[in-house]
Amino acid sequence: MKKYPILLLVLMALWSCQEKENIQITSEDFHASVDKVTQVMVHDIFSPPVASRIFAYPNIAAYEIMASQESEFNSLVGQIDDLSAIPKPTDTKQLNFELAALVAHMELSKRLIFSEEMVESFRDSLYKKWNAINSTQFQKSKDYGLEVADFIGQWMNKDNYKETRTMPKFSVYSDDPSRWQPTPPAYMDGIEPHWNQIRPFTLDSAAQFKPAPPPAFSMNKDSEFFKELEEVFIISNEITSKGDSSEEVQIAQFWDCNPYVSITRGHLMFATKKITPGAHWIGITKIACRKSEFDFISTVNAYTKTSIGIFEAFISCWDEKYRSNLIRPETLINKYFDDSWKPILQTPPFPEYTSGHSVVSGCASTVLTSIFGDNYQFDDDTEITYGLPVRSFESFNKAADEAAVSRLYGGIHYRAAIDVGLEQGRQLGQFVVKKLKLEATSK
Amino acid sequence: MNRYCWYIIVLLVFTSCNDKDRLFENPKASDIGIDFVNTITETDDLNILDYLYFYNGGGVAVGDINNDGLSDIFFSGNQVKNVLYLNKGNLQFENISKDAGVEGISSWNTGAIMVDINNDGFLDIYVCAVVGINGFTGYNELFINNGDNTFTEQSKKYGLDFDTYSSNAAFLDYDQDGDLDMYLLNHAVHTQDSYGHADLRLERNQQTGDKLLRNDNGYFTDVSEEAGIFGGVNSYGLGIAVSDFNKDGWPDIYIGNDFHEDDYFYLNNGDGTFKESLRDYFGHTTRFSMGNDVADINADGWPDLMSLDMLPEDEMALKSSEGDDNIQTQKMRIEQYGYHYQFTRNMLYVNRPNSHFEEVALQANVAATDWSWSSLFADFNNDGNQDLFISNGIPKRPNDLDYIKFLSSNQIQQKINNTRLVDQEALDNMPSGKVHNYIFKGSDNINFRDMSDRWITKDTLASTATALADLDNDGDLDIIANNINQAPTIYINKGSEKQNFLKVKLNYTAKNINGIGSKLYGYSNGKLQYREFYTIRGFQASSEPFIHFGLGESTQLDSLRIEWPDDTYQILYNVKANETQIVSKGNSKPIKPSELETKDVLFRKVDNNLGIDFKHKEDNYTDFIRQKLMPYQASDKGPAVALGDLNNDSKTDLFFGGSKRVKAQIYLQNDSSFVLNEESVLKDLAIKEDVVATIADFNGDQKNDIMVGSGGADFFGKSKVLRDTYLINNDSLFLDRQLPDIFQNSSVIKPSDIDGDGDLDVFIGNHMITSDFGKAPESVVLTNNNGVFSAQTIVAGMVNDAIWDDFDNDGQKDLIIVGEWMTPKFFKNQNGKLKKVDLINDQLNGLWQSIYPFDIDNDGDTDYLLGNWGLNSKFKASKRHPLKMYYADFDDNKQTETIVCIEKEGAYYPIMGLDDLSGQLVFLRKKFNTYRSFAGKSINDIFDKDMLSKAEILEVHTLASGYLRNEAGKFDFVPFEESLQTSPILAFLGADFDGDKQIEVLAAGNYFGVKPYHGRFDGFSGALIKNNKNISLGYTLGLNLHNKSVRHLDLLNAFDKTYLLVTFNNDAAEVYEILK
Repeated sequence: MKKYPILLLVLMALWSCQEKENIQITSEDFHASVDKVTQVMVHDIFSPPVASRIFAYPNIAAYEIMASQESEFNSLVGQIDDLSAIPKPTDTKQLNFELAALVAHMELSKRLIFSEEMVESFRDSLYKKWNAINSTQFQKSKDYGLEVADFIGQWMNKDNYKETRTMPKFSVYSDDPSRWQPTPPAYMDGIEPHWNQIRPFTLDSAAQFKPAPPPAFSMNKDSEFFKELEEVFIISNEITSKGDSSEEVQIAQFWDCNPYVSITRGHLMFATKKITPGAHWIGITKIACRKSEFDFISTVNAYTKTSIGIFEAFISCWDEKYRSNLIRPETLINKYFDDSWKPILQTPPFPEYTSGHSVVSGCASTVLTSIFGDNYQFDDDTEITYGLPVRSFESFNKAADEAAVSRLYGGIHYRAAIDVGLEQGRQLGQFVVKKLKLEATSK
Repeated sequence: MNRYCWYIIVLLVFTSCNDKDRLFENPKASDIGIDFVNTITETDDLNILDYLYFYNGGGVAVGDINNDGLSDIFFSGNQVKNVLYLNKGNLQFENISKDAGVEGISSWNTGAIMVDINNDGFLDIYVCAVVGINGFTGYNELFINNGDNTFTEQSKKYGLDFDTYSSNAAFLDYDQDGDLDMYLLNHAVHTQDSYGHADLRLERNQQTGDKLLRNDNGYFTDVSEEAGIFGGVNSYGLGIAVSDFNKDGWPDIYIGNDFHEDDYFYLNNGDGTFKESLRDYFGHTTRFSMGNDVADINADGWPDLMSLDMLPEDEMALKSSEGDDNIQTQKMRIEQYGYHYQFTRNMLYVNRPNSHFEEVALQANVAATDWSWSSLFADFNNDGNQDLFISNGIPKRPNDLDYIKFLSSNQIQQKINNTRLVDQEALDNMPSGKVHNYIFKGSDNINFRDMSDRWITKDTLASTATALADLDNDGDLDIIANNINQAPTIYINKGSEKQNFLKVKLNYTAKNINGIGSKLYGYSNGKLQYREFYTIRGFQASSEPFIHFGLGESTQLDSLRIEWPDDTYQILYNVKANETQIVSKGNSKPIKPSELETKDVLFRKVDNNLGIDFKHKEDNYTDFIRQKLMPYQASDKGPAVALGDLNNDSKTDLFFGGSKRVKAQIYLQNDSSFVLNEESVLKDLAIKEDVVATIADFNGDQKNDIMVGSGGADFFGKSKVLRDTYLINNDSLFLDRQLPDIFQNSSVIKPSDIDGDGDLDVFIGNHMITSDFGKAPESVVLTNNNGVFSAQTIVAGMVNDAIWDDFDNDGQKDLIIVGEWMTPKFFKNQNGKLKKVDLINDQLNGLWQSIYPFDIDNDGDTDYLLGNWGLNSKFKASKRHPLKMYYADFDDNKQTETIVCIEKEGAYYPIMGLDDLSGQLVFLRKKFNTYRSFAGKSINDIFDKDMLSKAEILEVHTLASGYLRNEAGKFDFVPFEESLQTSPILAFLGADFDGDKQIEVLAAGNYFGVKPYHGRFDGFSGALIKNNKNISLGYTLGLNLHNKSVRHLDLLNAFDKTYLLVTFNNDAAEVYEILK
């Protein structure tokens, strides 16, 4: 990283003989592109696992372009199975790699979301600006960016995503009392029951970090499972009696990260939408990059590594979810304790064990700690857009602890899913950190 | 003739063409003195978010309040004052509300009813109100008519001053003590976030629960609890209909509940209590039940019922609105939360007396009229048939999908979260649901023709409560509609000179002077018109208190029988048309206990079922989980049943197939009973789903063998459990003998000696290929060589049934195959070789389910009865506009999809919406990122040309069941009458059931393997076809086949008698005694 400004100077010196000025691309441009994607994802309503895929591939495309010409960073080729080297540019003269990386990021993002025009208008205003500054450089770099986007796109399309779209829905027809059932108010089908068949980046299989099974289902009052169920009910009632301003409610809401909360009032229905848990940790990545004043390539690196971690976390977590197919506390509490009980957060539409927030937060915080160090204090303003306050954390790990337990406060998870999930995520995070050697110094 | 004459003629022709069919005209409200507007004002504190029924509208009641012979109009306003208009004649009205003292004090008024509560000869007015939520104050008000155009509010005195969430009320004499009692319809405001168990209705809630109020000498006492009326927090009561549905002399009540709460069907026990009996009589109901109405629409003298819902007809509204339930959600709501089957469309229930209500709205063409509030049956054109008016519209569509998923979040999220307020801008994003009202012309059949752009002007309104009256005393019925934010619409019926009418007013007893609850039977030229006199009809409204008959060209009713509420009757003869007949109770005679016009009962269920204890349980596999776009299931073809002697004692035994992972069963006939044979080891059939079987001696050892076809649509590829089974009988032990490789889902096995070599050859028809619905599977002909079979394949289509019958009379049995998306196929047997021949004079692709040979027209040759899908369906098919199914791997993922499209106004539209289609074909979400961009798009707009061009298109030209009429060896298709079109017909059986030495054919069906989009085909009770003109429905013959899905009908010879064995899917087999 220290060498980078020198290189920049050299490049600038080289370019200074050109007539037109150089197009400046900063890490803020990359943040803006990531933010745009996040925003479109909220609009289009992507489920958390799918969202993790939308973050990961564009970051990888951008990263590969940057790493290809920067000795400080290693390409992912060789570290990720079946990723081959991106095409080399035919001519590096007048090629702005940052610009190319950003173009590749926008292009792949556009392909992955639904509402393309939202990305296009963002992109086109940049294109216009760049074209005015230096049309040759812009055109050349854009072409290269698109070429790499195509290349990564082809690799991406072989990840079994398309095939999983037409696989069977999760069947709720069962007499098994422990089996997950759709929850109020929308009673949506279980989402992404085949996500464990998505090709991982680093894992040898979706089950590589298979957690211990949840406590055995039992409605016997002395059973561990029953006690955990009761705990959700008791804690929820305690928190509710404390009111909305209580710390626990604040925590639950801050980490809600539910992309689609369905609200029904008579025939009127509407939704409140938020970012996914993955997007929240992507937001934290941005905060840390800014705080540490990361340059462009380091920023791209941080996003890439974190988004790969999040991506793996969803595969690992979803593998377990549709292995244990565990029923949500809401269903059981309504049936056995109180038929009018509602959790503080809306129960998301997939099986309970393990907690997605816990696995993802455990993994993302571990990756971020490896990049920015432990005890990295930060003020998390990611949720301001969604009407929630800033929360400050002493470290990524502390934030992960809070994100995990927020699901218990929210009334949507038993304790085992949180404790075991967090551990599952942290182990996975360690594995990803060890496996991916991106910074050359870590070679 | 000079030029001007020509002009005039041209002009006349032109105008008469334009208005030729226009039955109603709409005088401008202000021109006739009506200045009322039910203005709804949205505020930050009160709007559709705060109050779920913000757009339900006010009420309307019509009657002659000053006895001047002219009917006056009362409108209740939601937020505005009530108004009363005096009819001054010549269609001029005077607002007398203020002086009359009826403006009311409640914040939010709803239903309005005119009733002479004190029987002083002057109509009083009862107005419902919603009180106690949203800051609404007031109470239900009862305006007692002082007889001088003024009223005094006396609800407290009568005990009717409720401050609950009332939407309507009905007056009826439920306890037959001579005075009018009241049913108060309240509505829930439960959050609806979760369903809650259906048992919620058992716990009474004073604000939301309905109430039954007994009239005790002028004071109304709440008897809800003791009378068995539900009053739960869940009862979203919007519709109420009173009628003696079962004609036992005691009025019954049907309550339409919105949302997931079931409708209530209260049958009057005659002892002051009711029994809620919905499930016993209704296979399914409307889901978002709104208004309803009762009338005899098929002229059989029994009340039928219509209940409204909110299914749009228009593609644009249809595909951009929240639609049908997800099938898994529906199943959960039914199985775990205890609710009944409910579907989002209007329902028309035909009363099948003493049996059930058969739902036929789709077939009758009245299922989709958008956001519908009030339905009123009446003979608008005085032709003797019941027509139908439906009011319709909502200022904002709160179930607009773009609003729900995209706009709402951006617009209101902040406000909701922080302040719970919504501003006008947010509401403006909800699209308008103002649409035209519907009017339908009735016919002699149960079929209604949409006359909305002919009889009335297609307007753009939100019309809610509506009432009928004869405002201009010209003998035909006018309609008054209370609109939201617009002046009321008055539909003045212009009538026709040629059509005659009769109006009847009743003068009954001192405690019920208008004779509410009387039944009138008018006969003219042998045709019956049945009326039951209740004025509370439609939605939040009461109509003018008289009974109207349209007589067409008849100048009189030949007879008019009036059955008074006290179970006495009198008959008037030769009642002249075009008058108002006032009938007072005179020398009436007691009605004898109801004598049902029962046809001869031919069948009676055998109490012990002859020991046959087979209950088929379909496995949990749901085709739609795997093949999300399949139009209907293929996994529920079973169970197999086969009859024959299996233990060589010359008695008929029974083989029943099991569903997946359920063992097949053999019942052996002993001297007095059938007994399950536990020893019969059919281990090979333990996993297979046995959908069809036959018993015959295939290997010529004089002992019967069993052949079983496997299916289930779940196992796939060359799974060995898809292989059909051949079991040979070796001293009652069955040994497995392998059949040639056939790994498809079987549907029919039909043995016949094709080659005349003395042994039985077999046709095995296959229905589909697992996970590749739409592709025609191979069926096979097995040629028998000393008990060893060799196979020859025929790709005939998606086969369901087949018969061997000598259609060319050459002495050799030929093969006829029927199936789905194909025409019946004839194969001529030429000395053992089958040759396809073309014998049908027409394109005749159907969703054919069954075929049976029968000389239905008694002309001496064999015709073929064909069971099809039926016409009571959202599927539509004709030769001109066939039903189409596009079959291809649209998204190139090695998995084929089928997209079924129906024609609307010349273009083809997928029956599924964007969510369903894109759930399988994700690229559509990218192409259409709003629902509005997808809605209204035809299949050609949705898919690119080259994508469509790779699809195979399967077609259906008719959905009607019917028969192939034999015309000298060629065949024409003739559809059955409408009573046989209400459900798929899956089985036929010919025999002399009625002992007349002639063969009749029994037909049966019903089918449930469809998504909530289709609902349930559950109402067909079977039918006995004596010939093409003589058909009797099963419920009149002692058969109980409705609400169950019949797979097989068989004659069972046992104990020296012949029985009828009925085998159902997912239900217990039943044995009926044949009584003749």
